[in-house]
Order: sequence, then structure tokens, then C-alpha cells
Amino acid sequence: MNERQIHKFVQRYLEATDCRIVEKSPAHFQVKLSPRADRDLTNRPYYWSFVDRTGAEPETMSMLLVTDKNKYDEADAAAKQKPPVPQKPAAGSAGAAGEAAFGRSFGYLNSTINPSARMAREDLHFGARRLEQLFQSAKLGGSYLCLFQEPEKRTSHPLHSTAYSAWLGVNMKVEFLCDMKREEIHSFGISLATGQCLEQFNDRLLQHKMTPKLPPNVHTAKNAITLNKAASIAEGILERKLRAYDYGWADAAARRLEEELSTIRHYYEPLIEGAEEEHRPLIAEQYERRQDEIRWQYEPRVSVSATNCGIFYLQGIG
Amino acid sequence: MHPSNDSANGEQQLSSSPSGAGAGTPKRKLLHPGVELHFDRAWLQQLQERVDRNGPWDDWTLYQLAVEAEQSKLVSSFDDLQCLRSLPSFEPMPHQISTARKVLHEMSGRAILADEVGLGKTIEAGLVLKEYMVRGLVKRALILVPASLVLQWVRELNTKFGISAYAQKKDHSWGYDVVVASMDTAKRDPHRDKLLNQDYDMLIIDEAHKLKNKKTTNYQFVNAMRKKYCLLLTATPVQNDLDELFNLITLLKPGQLGGQNEFAANFVVDKRLPKNEDQLQEALQAVMIRNRRGDGGIHFTKRIVKNIRLKLSAEEQALYDAVTNFVRERFDENQGDWTSMLSLVTLQREVCSSRDAVFLTLVNMFKKTPEDSPVRAKIWQLVEVIRGIQANTKAEKAMELVREMNDKVIIFTEYRATQEYLLQYFRSHNMVAVPYRGGMNRGKKDWMMDLFRGRAQVLIATEAGGEGINLQFCHHMINFDLPWNPMRVEQRIGRVHRLGQTSDVHIYNLCTIGTIEEHIVSLLHEKINLFELVIGELDHILERFEKNETLEQRLARLLLEAGTNKDALKEGIDELGSSLSRIRDEVELDEPVDLGAVDAVLNAVGQTIEVRP
Repeated sequence: MNERQIHKFVQRYLEATDCRIVEKSPAHFQVKLSPRADRDLTNRPYYWSFVDRTGAEPETMSMLLVTDKNKYDEADAAAKQKPPVPQKPAAGSAGAAGEAAFGRSFGYLNSTINPSARMAREDLHFGARRLEQLFQSAKLGGSYLCLFQEPEKRTSHPLHSTAYSAWLGVNMKVEFLCDMKREEIHSFGISLATGQCLEQFNDRLLQHKMTPKLPPNVHTAKNAITLNKAASIAEGILERKLRAYDYGWADAAARRLEEELSTIRHYYEPLIEGAEEEHRPLIAEQYERRQDEIRWQYEPRVSVSATNCGIFYLQGIG
Repeated sequence: MHPSNDSANGEQQLSSSPSGAGAGTPKRKLLHPGVELHFDRAWLQQLQERVDRNGPWDDWTLYQLAVEAEQSKLVSSFDDLQCLRSLPSFEPMPHQISTARKVLHEMSGRAILADEVGLGKTIEAGLVLKEYMVRGLVKRALILVPASLVLQWVRELNTKFGISAYAQKKDHSWGYDVVVASMDTAKRDPHRDKLLNQDYDMLIIDEAHKLKNKKTTNYQFVNAMRKKYCLLLTATPVQNDLDELFNLITLLKPGQLGGQNEFAANFVVDKRLPKNEDQLQEALQAVMIRNRRGDGGIHFTKRIVKNIRLKLSAEEQALYDAVTNFVRERFDENQGDWTSMLSLVTLQREVCSSRDAVFLTLVNMFKKTPEDSPVRAKIWQLVEVIRGIQANTKAEKAMELVREMNDKVIIFTEYRATQEYLLQYFRSHNMVAVPYRGGMNRGKKDWMMDLFRGRAQVLIATEAGGEGINLQFCHHMINFDLPWNPMRVEQRIGRVHRLGQTSDVHIYNLCTIGTIEEHIVSLLHEKINLFELVIGELDHILERFEKNETLEQRLARLLLEAGTNKDALKEGIDELGSSLSRIRDEVELDEPVDLGAVDAVLNAVGQTIEVRP
């Protein structure tokens, strides 16, 4: 992800989670987080459990999210060069000041009367922890969907009902593992009406406008197969694809595994034999542990999990 | 997609953990001989539940964002360095990157990093750790280091690598994914058992030469730990004999050098003399990387040391004598109580620095003395003598030097009070000086550094420790007074004279004649030759010298026992000096010769790096 992509990503995230954007430029956002985003991003589980238990009005945090550090710093430096704009004293500033004084002595600070309070700055470059949190939060809030395709306006006739059918969509991550690792993403759509399976299903979804509500003048076809069956179809297709792959990497890893096992065998077996009776179990246990470690480290395997999934109602009978 | 699988039980995600089977009821089948395919179906169950209950359903935009996030993080090849694109804040050096690659792709994540000092073993280890984390192959990592380096590691991992590493402080700290702890803590109960019951995806041990002896608790503890990847960091894989090398490598990969007897038969003539060097080297190459500096040694610039001898003013000399007498009397009164005596010696050292430093100590001493004690009156007399002092000979000289240099300069002093005094003194002479001390928080330290780099000509520091202060842009330092602990002097010099320094460095030692300071300067400069030692050498000298007592303690004892007898003092210090210079000669002479044969093999492992300032 480059700066522009990150910027766009952050903007869409903030909008989707109802955060209030106070100020923005192509290089940054200043936001007041929504409760939902605050829960995911600010690492305050104790605070939120307090809010949940007492029903107190939550006070969410504000953040300065910088998506392009260089550009932001340049603009910031330029702004500092200019003479500061004299601040117009706010109406009732005496009252506010008084409140602030109270606040100080009672150790209570209300962010509304202290807008200049230091705001945590977060540089969101690729690999930044805060961006990773945004990723996690998106995943948490975007795992299971149920959506309907929005009918195209002009075809809608008040008496005409369009047939929709349900699809199971699932984005799968395939991990090729040994002491090293490689990954692939596969996106499948399986029609629950016919069992037909489409690949790159996610790209297909993006071509449509989707809505969580069942649109008017739409009827849904009956499902012919279960979710379980549909998942098996996708898994079967994926498995067939994977079988055709080159497993040179796995053979190499298996060779490394064997070599390592034989190296330690060469070390431990004479050691156990030569040891006194009472020490043997201990050394044998150590040998066992080393073997486990080596298998854990090298054993080649392929593991498939889902990033996210959903039921999608699309026009037509798939 | 394990919504329930947050960080608390996230370990399950690593289905490869030796003891753990995957969650749920996984379906297993073979894709290729020896390659199992595993489908995680937790998602299906979750989806079915939501279908049955008709919700709750998630957000479409977040769904797309989650897909985009996955795509951007996708590890598309086995053998590139993915982590490099997520490290915007610094650029590793080429040899560090090639080392990381080698560990990842040729050594499968088990290696000894044996670079010479200063080539960045920490960076190399950080790169390897980060890469495994980015690839999802490491989640839980433990880093064991000497206690004094814990915070430095934590900071480095956090700032340079964006890894959330935590210093182990309380028992629950062990629960974090990446923990940095001291070896001494980790191997002790109750921590020990807890750690031995964990599966660590990665274990990193800094200063791993402390694992050279099989019989130590350190060694046995590390041997008993369950780990997948493992890095051992040491600049000196062999300090005394070849067995150390065998132990270290056996800890990492048992059998790599054969069994103990095989090793002895195949590779050892004498404890420091290897044979079959080619095979030994080949065996080492598979587990060890040693980058060395280019032949010219490290391309350090020169150190130009100047001792500036100063005569105290009559008033200052009067104070020095009065304090010396005072110390003498107290010593005669309470023979044997060494701890209180040491603070008296401090008093004597402080006179050589500034009256303010003495004053502060006297005030504290006055407060601690019982009200009816006759000592109170004596302390008061000393305070009266202090009043008589109007000028500070050293400060005047320092100012003169600073003006002459007309360049950035760092002034080190041992005492807060002296620091305050100097700040004021320089300010009153229209010279901008900024302070730096250990007690400042990180933000303030950084700010002071920025001020010094930008606006101030002078930095006045009481602390040399801490890697936060890198002053390569400064070529002058003044030791306003000298610590009695030579390591601290070396630390001071190291702030300025280090990799990246492009000019020669000028070091000025201010030294008042006729005082204890004169002896110290001659001891450190002439006898240890401190200011010209190679990095690391001082360590060896002190290790041999300070068997029971530190140099600092010995000096204090000498000073007290000599009392007003100047000849006795001189004699004692000369004796210290000659034994130090003898050890220095030994260290310089015998070590390289002794290990020459071993070094030749070690040095053939890895590449030579030309590090230019």
C-alpha cells in the first residue's frame, strides 16, 4: 500500500465506522472516534468495560492520523512559518477558564473546554501498528455479510418481480508452510440454487451495488443445497487446484527435516547409550523435545482459512 | 477469521505448535506425499449460526477493507524480505540485510550472529524477527539479554521495527507476545517454570557467550526451553577454548559438530588449537555468521587528548585542604565504617569540581548529623570557607576553551550541582548551553539534543550512559571532572567518538594540580592509556583487575588510608598504576596470539565489512 492507498483506506474506514472527521487534507485526518472505532483502536478495555457496566456516556478519543508523513510535516512546517492567527476569545471565555481551573484542581478535564489538548499523532505508514489495528478492526467488523444486489432502476416495473438467488461467497487464504511461508488468496462464490462455483467472486461482487435490505419487487429462489455442501464444493475445487501445484518447496523442506533429525539422532543416540541408567530418561526426554521442535519448524503443510464470507443474493438464477 | 480468537488465546492460530492440534474438527488430507492439507472450517459454523438467527450481519465497506488489507499483507513468495517495506524509519545496512536473508533462507532461523562489536547484531536479529512476524511464522518471542540492555532492546524493537515488545516487569508481563527480559530473572523461580511450559516461536539471546559453559544454570535453562527459531548473539563466540564453541553450537543445533568426543577427536588439537580447519569452518558456516570490519580495522578518526593542568586559586586550595583535613578527622574517628567513608571521599572529589557540589553534599551531611554532634560545627566551618570562594578556576578555563574552539562542545561533569552552576555561569557570559541528565524523560532528552544540534554551542551532561545520545556532529569534549570508574569515561568518549564521526575528536581533561584529581588523570591517561584503547579492551583489563574490589573502591581506600601523607598516596597509586599497565600489556599481547588459530577459522565464516564513518 502506498500513501494514497492508505489515505483512501483510512477515509473509507472512518466513514464506515461513523467517526467524525474534524479536519482533513490529502496527508492527514483529524478525527473524533466513534465508540465502535474507539473500542477497536485505543486499547482501553478497562474503560470500555466500565462504560458497559455503568452505562456512563462514553467519551471517545480524538486522533491525528497522518497518512503521508513527509507531506504533512512539510505543510505543518510551512504553517508554522506564518504568523499565528490571533484567536478570537470565545464567548463566555471567563466561564470556560473558571471551569478549566476547577478542572485542574479536581483533576478533571473536559475535552470540550480544552480543545487544544495534545492529540496523539499516529503516522500510518504500511507496517505501522496503528494501521495494523485498523486492518484488524476492519476484519472484526467485516467478517459475515448478508447482502442483496440493488436492482437497476430502469428495469423495475411495479408489477414485475425479479428472481434472485443466494450465493455463498468466501475469501480463502491458503498458507504454504514449512520453516518458510507463502500465501495466496482465493475467492469463491457457490450458488446455493445450483451448486455452480465461480472463482474471483469478490471482484464480481464489486461490480454490483449491494444493500443489506431486500429490495422491493424481488423474490428469492429456494436454496437447493446447504451451506455445508456449498463449502465442500469450494474446498473440493480449491483442493483440485492445489494438487496441480509444484511441491518442490515441500520436498526440500522434508529433506531439511530429515537431515536435521539425523543430525540430532547422531548426537543423542550415543549419548543416551553411554549415559548412566539414572540419567537416561532425562536425556531421552531432551531428545524427544528436540525432535518435536524440528518437526514444528520444518514440517511442510498447507493450511486454508477464511478471511471473511457471506450470503449474497444476486439477480438471476445462478 | 476467529472472532473469538483474540490475542489471549491467539496461540491456537499457530496450528503448528508442537503440542497443539488445530481448533475445531479439522479435515486432514494429503496434497502431495508428506504434505497435509488442512481446512479450517470455523468460519462456516459462525456463518451458519448467523443464518439461523438471521444476524447480526457485518458492514459491506469493512468487508471490502478487510479483503484489501489481506491482499496488501499477502506474503506472495517464500524468499523475499517482506519486512523491508514496512520499516520506513530506518534503512538497514547491506550486510545486515544479507545476514538476515541468510538466516532466513539458508539457516532456517537457527543461527549464531557473531559480528564484531558495532556492526549491528541487534539490527540483524530485529530484521529476522520482524520478517517472521510479518509472515505469521512467529507470534510469541522471548528475548533474553543482560539486565542493563532490556530497555534498549525494547526501545529499538519498538521504534526501529514497529514490534510491540514489552520489558518484563511483573509476573503478568510474560503474557505479552514479545517480551524482553534479563536472563537472570528468567532463569529464576517462579519465572523459570512458567517459561519452560511455553512454546516460543522464537528465542533470541544477546551476549550469548554467557552460555559457553554447559554446567551453568544459564545453559541448562536455555537448553530446556521449547523454541522453534533461535538466535544467539555474541561478538566473542570463543573467549578461552574451543569447547565454548562446541557448547554454544550444540545448544542451537545438537550434533552439528558431532558429539563431544567426536568434536574433540575431529577438530581439537589443544584447547585453543583447532585441526581440520576446513571441515570445521564448513560446519560452522551452516550455523554462524560473522561479519568483521575491514582490514584497516574500524575507520575511526583520531582522538587528540589534552590534559589541562590548572592551579587552584588560593581560596579554592584553602577549601581543598580544609576538606581533606575534615575527611582525615572523620576517618580517624570511625575507623572501619566504609560506607560512610566513601561519601567523605566524594567530598574531596567534589572540591575539584565546584564549590556548589561540595556545598550540596555538606548541607545533606549537616542534616544527617545529630544536632548535638560537634561535627555540625565543623561542617559549618567548611561552609564558611566556601563563602570565601568567588570564582571557579576550571569554569573560567572551560569558558576560555569553548570560546577558542568556536565549535560544538560537550562538557561532562559528575555532579548535578556543578552542572547547574555551569549552566548559570555560561548563561551569564552570553553563551547558550543546554543540560542533559539521566533523570530527564525521553521527550526532554530528545528536545535537549535538538537544541544542541540546532542552537546551543554547549551541552552540559551528567550522564554518558544510554544510547540515546549520539553526538557525531560534535568533535570536542571537555571532561570537567573525571569519574573514577574507567568504564564511565569510556562511555563518555563513546558518545562522540563512534561510528559516523567524520572528524578527529579533541578531548580535554581539566585537572587541578596538587589534588587527588591529578593522580586520577595520570592513572587513567598514562597507566591504562584509556583514551587510546580499542573498544572492548578496557572490559578485559578491568575484568582481570577488579577481582574483589572495583578500581573506584581501591582508590577510595588508598586515599583514606594515606590521609595527609602525600608520599604514601603517590606510592599507592603508582602501584595501582603499574599493575594496571602490566595487565594492559598482557591483554594487548597475549589474547590475539592465543586465539589466533581459532580466530582464523571463525573469521572465515562471513564477510568483511568496510564501515566508513
